[in-house]
Amino acid sequence: MTTTAPTDDVTETMVAVPPAGPGRWKGTLVGLGIALAVLLAGLAVPYVVTDTYRMSLVVDATILSLLAIGIGFLARHLGIISLGHGAFFGAAAYGVGIATTNWGWSPTTAVGFGILVGTGIALVMGLLVVRASGFGFLMLTLALSQALYALSVQTSARPLTGAHDGKLLSYDRDQTFLGLGQADVMNPGLFWPMAWVALTVCATLLWVVGRSRFGTTLEGIRENEERMRFSGYGTFGPRLVAFVLSGAVASVGGALFAINAGYVSPDILGFSKAGDSLIAALIGGFGLLVGPIVGTFLFVYAQANFNFGGNLHLFTGMTLILVLVFMPGGITGTFQKLYHRMRKGRR
Amino acid sequence: MTIFEGRGLTVRYGAHVALEGVDIALEPGVVHGVIGPNGAGKSTFIDALSGRKRPSAGTVTFEGADITRRSVRWRRGKGLSRSFQRTSVFGSMTVGDQLEMVARRNDEQDLDEIVSTLGLDAIRHQVCSEIAYGTQRSVDLAIALIGRPKVVLLDEPCAGLVHDESVRMLQHVRDVCKDRDVAALLVEHDVEGVFRTCDVITVLDLGKVLASGAPDEVRADENVIRAYLGSAA
Amino acid sequence: MNAAQLLNGVALGSLLMVLSSGLAMIYGLRGVANFAHGALYMAGAYIAYSVSDRAGFWLALLVVPLALAVLGVVLELAFFRPLQHRSHIELGLITFGLALMAERLVVLIWGESTLRVNPPEFLQGTTSFVGIEYPSYRLAIIVIAVLLAAALIVWLRSTSIGLHIRAASQDIETAAIMGINVDRVSLVVVAVGAALAGLAGALAAPYIALDPGMGNAFLITVLIVVVVGGIGSIAGAMIAGMGLGIIQTVTTVWSPSLAVVVPYAALTIVLLWRPTGLAGKRVS
Repeated sequence: MTTTAPTDDVTETMVAVPPAGPGRWKGTLVGLGIALAVLLAGLAVPYVVTDTYRMSLVVDATILSLLAIGIGFLARHLGIISLGHGAFFGAAAYGVGIATTNWGWSPTTAVGFGILVGTGIALVMGLLVVRASGFGFLMLTLALSQALYALSVQTSARPLTGAHDGKLLSYDRDQTFLGLGQADVMNPGLFWPMAWVALTVCATLLWVVGRSRFGTTLEGIRENEERMRFSGYGTFGPRLVAFVLSGAVASVGGALFAINAGYVSPDILGFSKAGDSLIAALIGGFGLLVGPIVGTFLFVYAQANFNFGGNLHLFTGMTLILVLVFMPGGITGTFQKLYHRMRKGRR
Repeated sequence: MTIFEGRGLTVRYGAHVALEGVDIALEPGVVHGVIGPNGAGKSTFIDALSGRKRPSAGTVTFEGADITRRSVRWRRGKGLSRSFQRTSVFGSMTVGDQLEMVARRNDEQDLDEIVSTLGLDAIRHQVCSEIAYGTQRSVDLAIALIGRPKVVLLDEPCAGLVHDESVRMLQHVRDVCKDRDVAALLVEHDVEGVFRTCDVITVLDLGKVLASGAPDEVRADENVIRAYLGSAA
Repeated sequence: MNAAQLLNGVALGSLLMVLSSGLAMIYGLRGVANFAHGALYMAGAYIAYSVSDRAGFWLALLVVPLALAVLGVVLELAFFRPLQHRSHIELGLITFGLALMAERLVVLIWGESTLRVNPPEFLQGTTSFVGIEYPSYRLAIIVIAVLLAAALIVWLRSTSIGLHIRAASQDIETAAIMGINVDRVSLVVVAVGAALAGLAGALAAPYIALDPGMGNAFLITVLIVVVVGGIGSIAGAMIAGMGLGIIQTVTTVWSPSLAVVVPYAALTIVLLWRPTGLAGKRVS
């Protein structure tokens, strides 16, 4: 009797329903334990990946994963797809660049400042967009981030952003980012702990938030916004909080990106960065928190190895279509389905 | 003793008048039925009363205060609740999870009682989109009843139910209304069910009140017979 | 601001009008924002380049819409129809993948360098119009685009397929119940929408420089036009397209740095003020 008309909610087919119920707290503790173990184990990566180029790819993917899990969090819990997270990533990166290079701040303070700038932009954008859903949301996030991009490349913005040329970061020899000088931060082996700790902490935070009562509220809004209001819940506030949180995580990525690369160019603000990250997240799958991370690592790997003749976008476009048509839910979603099928078969 | 009242409610869509100057008054412990042929304005009426649609003219008062411009969220907090004709539940969540979520917000002390009254114990841990349609309608009703609302507006709770389910649903509605002293408005397509269940009945036709009163009076009303009930009554 | 600048705005608005009415038709019917619409526009321009190189520009204006209509049919049969029960956003993202591929395919076929198309000889000069000398080809764009828009409106208003399209755009499920062959309507709509996009590309070709990024650069503006105009409203898209074209060109004269944010500002203001767009009825 319940007809399922196609809606703008992506979660129907793309997100598997997470099991909930009793034992939630126990599950959270176990999850935190696992997260800590993964964090500690991951610190050993530079001893396994000894090649500097490969290690730099791993660091890149880790930083970009922060952008992807930000996008994935919104898709997973609110069923909305953002094309505007490049704005937060980029604004945080420019914040770091401007604070160090123009104002002479220490890199550590500048990173904090960058994260604040990105999160602030997320708050402002969030106030404008979180009422929308579906294509409206997608379009507004796209348009507002494009507006930021268009402003950043203006000639009048050159002293701050370097316009189309981008911005080279420079700070004094004695200034450090958490003990790393300007030469050290570009060494992927030395920068690795920063990126890895940031990713695991942010991912764990998003996971805990998703399991909390606030996460349940978000799920209620995703499933039926109107009924939530008729059940006495405000829906604007929770959506805004989720949007700003996901923007803050993307900002952490952007700030680290600027420090690590030592250079910020306007294309990270625009739609191509957010688009790539969204594609990576879609290919990895939104259903599991690690989906966007898996997708980002694959994307960075593919970018480094299959970009012959500049055909990367031909292949990513093709992969995106194949994944969406044949394995909605992405790679992790497909594994999840296989796993559930196997367990059912055994019973 | 009126607790909830709509006066002169009018809703226009451009030039089309869907509802024109409709009055209604609800009392605690009384089930007030609203019937009318298709296009009579029943859904518009409940939307205007519940705050889903702002009326073009007229006022809605609750406990003597004008609440016409209040948000649906505010109304729910004060004890005004509604259900939906097109089943409105939280599909991906388990029945238990969604009822607990609504119960947390609306300060419900005895969720188990609602669950058992509506016969939802057995499916509490099932995902809502996977249970039978008739049971989903009960979940929809349960969501509306959580938090001991003082007024409940029910939009065709029996839509799509088979006869037995329909009888049971209306019995639940009447029981809850009497046990909890709730003022209930029951918009329903099932005329026979409304006459069996309700204490007061209002008949709408073409956006206006055709008749209002006790079931026997309404049944005997000439206008109602001519316009709507016909020989069936 | 003088008349020439205003006419430039009208010329840009005319292109936006043709392009966005096709996008709006597909959006209205399938509920999908076709991110590949910019790619269709670009394909139209590049095919026009190849055809006019060999057989002249006028033939290109005939060949391009036909070729693009075929592409539209492929798009409908390969994606929109078989995947119509998926969420609209998923379908939109698939067209996003197509747009990515198209940008690269154009490079592989036509190369990366900027290409130019010459307008037909008798349109290469200027014409005196309202007291100024104005490039003839731009006037031709305006005339052709306005005629196209008028023809489209007449077609939708006075033919039975037009009636079916309007009915299906209102409510596709009800239209299907009423006995309208929704699949056939959708096929026609996507083919016509693609043909219009191609025609816009062909018309634009002599006016702008062709490069592989042209489609996606224009796409964002066109998407904004459609959302501002009201989702699924063809008349709304036409008005918004013309309006945005004029406003943007005029603002460029006053302040170039202000002009770049005009479309985004317009979108934000309109969506905050009227979430369904200027002429929209449905919430996206």
